[in-house]
Amino acid sequence: MSPTSGTGTVAEDTAPGPDASVGLDEPEPVITPTGRPRRRRRRLLGLVVPALLVTVWALASAAGWVSPRLLPSPGTVVEAAWAFVAGGGGSTLPGVTPFDGAAGRHVGASVGRWLVAFALAVAVGIPLGAAIGLSRRTAELLDPLVQALRSIPITAWLPIALVWFGLGEGAARYLVFVGAFFPIVIATADGASRVPGALVDTALMLGTHRWDLGRKVYLPAALPAIVTGLRLGLTLGWMSVIVGELTGTTSGVGAMMFAAREVGRLDHIIVGMATFAVVGLAGDVLLRAAARPFVAWSDR
Amino acid sequence: MSPGRGATAGDLAGAATDLEVRGLRKAYGAVEVLDGIDLSVAAGEVAAVLGPSGCGKSTLLRLLAGLEEPDDGTITLGGQPLRGPSATHPMVAQGATLFPWLSLRENLAWGPRAARRPDADAVADELLVATGLTGFADALPRQLSGGMRQRAAIAQVLANRPPVLLLDEPFGALDAQTRLRMHEWLRGLLAQRPTTVVLVTHDVEEALLLGDRLALLGRRPSRVLEYSRVSFGPERGRATLRDPRFVDLKVQVLERVLAS
Repeated sequence: MSPTSGTGTVAEDTAPGPDASVGLDEPEPVITPTGRPRRRRRRLLGLVVPALLVTVWALASAAGWVSPRLLPSPGTVVEAAWAFVAGGGGSTLPGVTPFDGAAGRHVGASVGRWLVAFALAVAVGIPLGAAIGLSRRTAELLDPLVQALRSIPITAWLPIALVWFGLGEGAARYLVFVGAFFPIVIATADGASRVPGALVDTALMLGTHRWDLGRKVYLPAALPAIVTGLRLGLTLGWMSVIVGELTGTTSGVGAMMFAAREVGRLDHIIVGMATFAVVGLAGDVLLRAAARPFVAWSDR
Repeated sequence: MSPGRGATAGDLAGAATDLEVRGLRKAYGAVEVLDGIDLSVAAGEVAAVLGPSGCGKSTLLRLLAGLEEPDDGTITLGGQPLRGPSATHPMVAQGATLFPWLSLRENLAWGPRAARRPDADAVADELLVATGLTGFADALPRQLSGGMRQRAAIAQVLANRPPVLLLDEPFGALDAQTRLRMHEWLRGLLAQRPTTVVLVTHDVEEALLLGDRLALLGRRPSRVLEYSRVSFGPERGRATLRDPRFVDLKVQVLERVLAS
């Protein structure tokens, strides 16, 4: 498949001359504005509500409307965030979980768990989803089980993960895998089942070998749905990281947050939450950017 | 080509071939659709198939394309039985099925690439000229108008120079003016690339403008009620529409379709 891109334009057909036999007058392409200034304005608009909320939060903290024990001021949280990244905050957390200057260690540990488990979920989920989407017999066999299992909340998997994998890394990765796996399977199955039969027929009538249909037709046609599943799986996997880090890990953003809760450091907890938001968003943006050349054709 | 096996693209590419249909039957459960269709289309001829709605015209074409198996009967191309869909007898249906993720040029090069032809890109460029779409080589199908997509879809299957082309109401979704332009374009294209064509249509005017022969199917379960030669010469265009003989013929055929 060749990646293609393009903005949505519909060209007008022009009339060939009455005597035209082969070859028509060349139509003029219709050029649509790229809409960049409008996109920038929309992005800026998205920052308005968060900025307002932070302002209200700062005002409420400054006026003493909320106790710092329940909600520290934005300034305190920013200081904690700086200490988390650069160190020098003099903060200690219980156990072996550091805070000052430990952003790299915790984020690295969480992202490592996330990516390993996500890669495993992709490796298992896409072939399984394709099999369910393309084979009615496989769908009849497996789809009810998948639908039932995906309804189990990620926290409900925690006890069994601890029994199977014990405290630590294995259980954490398993929980992230479970979080990422089901959206990938379901979206891939849906995408594969919706590939128009007419495209497959056309490929065969153009001399395409049946063995090449998967790579040349099904995969590119189902890719937009698969990418949607990957994005959901990536996000849900990342959301599951914190559950995974309840399993006795000593590094990771979730582990840091639970250690901070023990000593009542709400500023550290908020820093952890913000870290989850920023890293999760960055992951989604990167995945979207990587997938864009292959799915731009499906943009509406 | 060795006897006993189906015709392949390699055997037949480039030369129009006669198409023979004998005793073709098809039923879906208890619903009988085709009841012994016989049809002979000589090499390079355009056979237009008309018939009442739901009589099985599209089923006939899907059987000819190898997309479905007949319950009984034979289809031969140049004396060889056809088995399954292949590049020798492609079908283009209403609502062009170009690959939406590929540019127009890559769509046109698909067939020659599947046939491992080294000149795939040159073939695509030649077809871009033939379709008048050179300015849209890098456009995605959704960026083209309906008429342009339909031209491209026909050109896409012609890239392999099939001896037989099957058209299932290919211009049915287009407006009247575009349809007329498409008729003229297709006639010109087929004049340059002689191909045996079976055209299924509900439009009597289209059948008379494009067809060398006219097959009229009856109600379901259908058979060929009439198979006649169209008495107009090869030069048919928009001027033909005003010809009183053409108008009269159109009314006659329409009445026969209604009576069938």
